Amino acid sequence: MNLKNISIALTVLVFGVIAMLFMQKGNYVNQAKEHYEATTAKSFKGNSMVLELVNNAIDMNKQTWAIACGALQTVKNSQDMARLEAKFFPATKGSNSIANKTRRFEASSANVIVSTFGKVEEDKKTGVKSLADLQSVDVSVLLGNVAAASAAEGDDAEEEGEE
Amino acid sequence: MDKKKMKILVVVDVVILVALIVILMTLKGGYEEQAKRTANEQESAYLEKNTQVLVEQWRSVDQYSMAWKLVYSMLSGAKTEAAFKSNLAAIEGDKDARFKQISHLYTGAGINDAVQNGIYQKAGLAEGTILLKNEKGNKEVACGKNCVVKFSFAKGKLKNVDYSALVQYNLANTLKIEKPGEYHFE
Repeated sequence: MNLKNISIALTVLVFGVIAMLFMQKGNYVNQAKEHYEATTAKSFKGNSMVLELVNNAIDMNKQTWAIACGALQTVKNSQDMARLEAKFFPATKGSNSIANKTRRFEASSANVIVSTFGKVEEDKKTGVKSLADLQSVDVSVLLGNVAAASAAEGDDAEEEGEE
Repeated sequence: MDKKKMKILVVVDVVILVALIVILMTLKGGYEEQAKRTANEQESAYLEKNTQVLVEQWRSVDQYSMAWKLVYSMLSGAKTEAAFKSNLAAIEGDKDARFKQISHLYTGAGINDAVQNGIYQKAGLAEGTILLKNEKGNKEVACGKNCVVKFSFAKGKLKNVDYSALVQYNLANTLKIEKPGEYHFE
């Protein structure tokens, strides 16, 4: 009787071990799968974010460059400049510094251009001063030379009054 | 079942059991090693593919930045074919300025120095020249992936610059990070 019980128990044990044999593979596969999914998901999220942020930055950067290069071709005075700025950034306005004869346009802290004009003009009826005779457009900030452009920034900037 | 057959069954069970335990222990190590190896291989392959997109983006931004600088130089300085040649050589040759311009754009985008350096270590700067076409009077310059700026000269003087591709430049249409595929235990 004892022997019969032992043989039954051993047979059950054999099937149990066979089951374990199949289950352990599943466990390792699941562990590996979890590791793979966690690592790749982190990479996907991080790299997608970099890709998107840079693409968004390009979007603003290219429009700022377009203003700078467009100004060199078509702008004569600060009113022209304001129109060009509004074409690319309807919600952002540049500001004139009458004392420095410059106009600063800042789409963001990384996207700044400073235009230098040759003379100041005054509307005799309204007394509003504006800048004329575009001389140059400083793109130091766009080139990454932030310090150079900060030095050029006028501290007596006046809001443009011609619009 | 008689006693003799029971004895045989017990002996057979014990032998099978021992054999199964040996197999279990052997396979355990094998499965563990295989699972780790395949996961690492598939992870590395995905990360490599993923990083390659950022490498391509970095190099495209380098070309894009050089192209804008060249257009600006041609519009703000001497408008001659000779100036084009010297401006292009100066822009391409100044690797520090190229890095600075790319890094400035990335910093403005909110990408920190560590991530930038990680990409730069793999990408470096765009290789070769951006000058794609250099026929007399007609020059074409690469301004990133699928982007070309056209300069035309007449008698050595700049006649026209077509940089509309730069103004419309959009990498989102051409570069994408693929979602990871399923893990395979092979």
